[in-house]
Amino acid sequence: MSDQQKNELMAVIAELKNVSFQFEEEGPQVLKNLSLSLERGSFNILVGPGGSGKSTMCHLFNGRIPHLFDGVLEGEIFIEGSSTSEVEMKDISCSVGSVFQDPESMFATLSVEDEIAFGPENLLFGREEILESVESLLKLTGIAAYRHNLVWNLSGGQIQKLGLAAVLAMKPRLIILDEPTANLDPSATRQVHELILKLKREGITILLVTRELDDFMASADNLLVLDKGTLIASGEPYSLLIKHGMLMEKLGIWLPETVEIGLALIRAGYRLKSIPITVDETLAVLEKLELCPEGRILNGPEKNYHQHSGSPLIRAEDVRFSYGKGVYAIKGISLDIHPGEMLAIVGRNGAGKSTMARLLIGLNKCTEGKLELFGKDSRRWKVPNLANHISLVFQNPEHQFLTDTVAEEIEYSLQAQGTYEKETLENERNRILKMLNLEEEKENHPFALSAGNKRRLGVATMLVGDPQVLIVDEPTYGQDREMTGTLMKLMKDIQSRGIAVVMISHDMRLVEEYADRVVVFSEGKKHFDGIPTDLFNKAEVLEGASLQPTLLFQLLKKLEEKKVICRGHIPGSEAFLQLLLNEGKAS
Amino acid sequence: MAGDFLSFKEKSSALNRTYPLVKMIWVLLIAVGLFLFKTPFSGGIMFVLILTLSMAGGKITPKEILRSAFVVFGLGFLLMVFHFFFDPGNVVWSWYFLTITDYGLIQGPIFFFRLSVIVLSSFLLIWTTDTRDLMTSFIKAGMPYRYAYTIFLAMRFLPLIQKEVDAVRSAHAIRGRATGSGPGHRFKLWQRYMFTILINGIRKAEITADALECRAFGYKKQRTSVKDVIFRKRDIVLPVITVIILVGLVYMEKSRWISLLGL
Repeated sequence: MSDQQKNELMAVIAELKNVSFQFEEEGPQVLKNLSLSLERGSFNILVGPGGSGKSTMCHLFNGRIPHLFDGVLEGEIFIEGSSTSEVEMKDISCSVGSVFQDPESMFATLSVEDEIAFGPENLLFGREEILESVESLLKLTGIAAYRHNLVWNLSGGQIQKLGLAAVLAMKPRLIILDEPTANLDPSATRQVHELILKLKREGITILLVTRELDDFMASADNLLVLDKGTLIASGEPYSLLIKHGMLMEKLGIWLPETVEIGLALIRAGYRLKSIPITVDETLAVLEKLELCPEGRILNGPEKNYHQHSGSPLIRAEDVRFSYGKGVYAIKGISLDIHPGEMLAIVGRNGAGKSTMARLLIGLNKCTEGKLELFGKDSRRWKVPNLANHISLVFQNPEHQFLTDTVAEEIEYSLQAQGTYEKETLENERNRILKMLNLEEEKENHPFALSAGNKRRLGVATMLVGDPQVLIVDEPTYGQDREMTGTLMKLMKDIQSRGIAVVMISHDMRLVEEYADRVVVFSEGKKHFDGIPTDLFNKAEVLEGASLQPTLLFQLLKKLEEKKVICRGHIPGSEAFLQLLLNEGKAS
Repeated sequence: MAGDFLSFKEKSSALNRTYPLVKMIWVLLIAVGLFLFKTPFSGGIMFVLILTLSMAGGKITPKEILRSAFVVFGLGFLLMVFHFFFDPGNVVWSWYFLTITDYGLIQGPIFFFRLSVIVLSSFLLIWTTDTRDLMTSFIKAGMPYRYAYTIFLAMRFLPLIQKEVDAVRSAHAIRGRATGSGPGHRFKLWQRYMFTILINGIRKAEITADALECRAFGYKKQRTSVKDVIFRKRDIVLPVITVIILVGLVYMEKSRWISLLGL
């Protein structure tokens, strides 16, 4: 081997050569002829629409394919020069660390300290070395205060950080992170993001699968785009976005709003050398193109927020709730919910959002303060009777399923609402299946549906009986852009039927685009109740609740500092650019 | 919930410092001894001794003992009453169809103490032993660490399953009124309930198993143990004193108490 070849080998930590994979011999290929390499110390982001094979591709690098998953593998996978087919799983784990989508399931011990030590203990690291490593990782990940905690008593953010610490303790040269912030509030997400960027600065090779690109895209060395198991693009993000950005948009991949503005500028005929990723870069591009001169006025249309009429369906006055031991999850919240409105409840994990939802559907009983549900004291409602008026779609819809087929699932709900007559039952069932585009799935088992269809079925079972209020916990959790659009359209349709839709969400883009009203919970108290745009103007509320305005809003704020006046409601990057270009033409 | 109270308590007690495997052997010794006893006196003495040991040697408060063992003491009491009324023997009291026998009056307390002492000594093991230390002591005794970890992982899964059960229970509760009421319908619902928990449990177990592989579990036959447990000679004091007491009690039973009760 020549010196040049040796150097190349040293520079590449992982390599795929013509890799294809299918889970079953007769089944479809999930990955198709993938060839790529990850350079040592590089930060790689893998993106793609739902079901494109991102997680399966991660399994190639951490050895789960071919060692743990059955299937047909073609081609070769090399980690630090060795083919993964020829080395054992436990040897691969010396080089590659994986943080799973649900790190809680990967924990093997009971306490935080023990969990970090578990991997290095298996690798026979020295006792002193492990103790030092545990100490430094507790500090690095910011969980030193919880070192003696039981792992199941940690918050979502702490669980992710512990997952990372546990993997880092094994001193891997390559770390695979599969959606590490999928279920975290904005504050915890930011903390995990900072931690990942810290690892990048320390020179660890990272492969990150995420749909939250806002904080990362500018720092990535390499962006990998996967669609239907094929690598359709890879390379440095700025130049890759110029070439493939529009295709990525078309595929339904979530892109930062700043990138969307850059792509829209190209569509409008502007020539850009690279696509702006950060807010400052976007601002610089707009200035260079002279699209936002000082004194320019951007008149957005006024959004017709839902106007309340009549008495509220739900009225909470100074509600307090404790799970015991005198610790209050809700500390005096007053809240009205009106017919036909789209209300967003936001706040960090543990802010009291889910407890409030449980109070509204009767799973928790209000003992302090006044909670009136549909004109009746909440304590006088029985949960099954209340289900006719208010429904909750759980974050994991599988928990709600009770029968063996999609059709039976809806029939069950209809029967629970008192519909037993065969013809009515069938007609109503078919109407709901049609409404939610689930007709083709009606004979399938609910557990066998795709994630998006499970969500829809969850909504379907809860829509039966026409509730007056529908609460949806994280409606678009884990969904790509296309599915998010479909689900939110469904929410709007439901709202247009006069049903109040309450969404509990961390996604501020969703809130800005769809909600009529947003309430902010923080540490069991309500800190804001108003329209989303007003919330983004209240820096102290956002900071207190660890929320962050959208990139577009941050851009508009910076434009305002440059004496560009923004008025009205600008719901998204496309709307912003249309306004910018149309008004430019007009002036 | 009993589960919250029934967990390891990190305290600087003599029992906390005792070698985990020795405590495990101690529990087994007590269990064997209790089945040798023929009179309630021995069980009663053991009950008092274990209670005293819990408070003095394990620094467990009476409140903590009652919180965890309340249900077991209650069951033991019911068992005792059952023996009073249903054991054969000479009737010493009767009221209509209810009769209490002399044999039942002896057997009742024997069973109460047998259950209470076994459970209380097991609780004492749980309160004063970190599961990880117990596992380490098993490995040091020669058990392959893959097997020792299996017991440990089962405990790791309990809270995850509890979370799952709570979530499914809540989700099913808000599906509206029950669509039937017969035992068949209830069984079907229960079946569905278990199905969801089972499926999600299996998924989690698969992920955990994969995660163990990804974290080099089984990399070598040995593994480093950061938190070591060290056996000291003084640890033997507990089982030795227990054996002496058990032998003493069996001797007292044979020489005096059995004849005293006319058995």
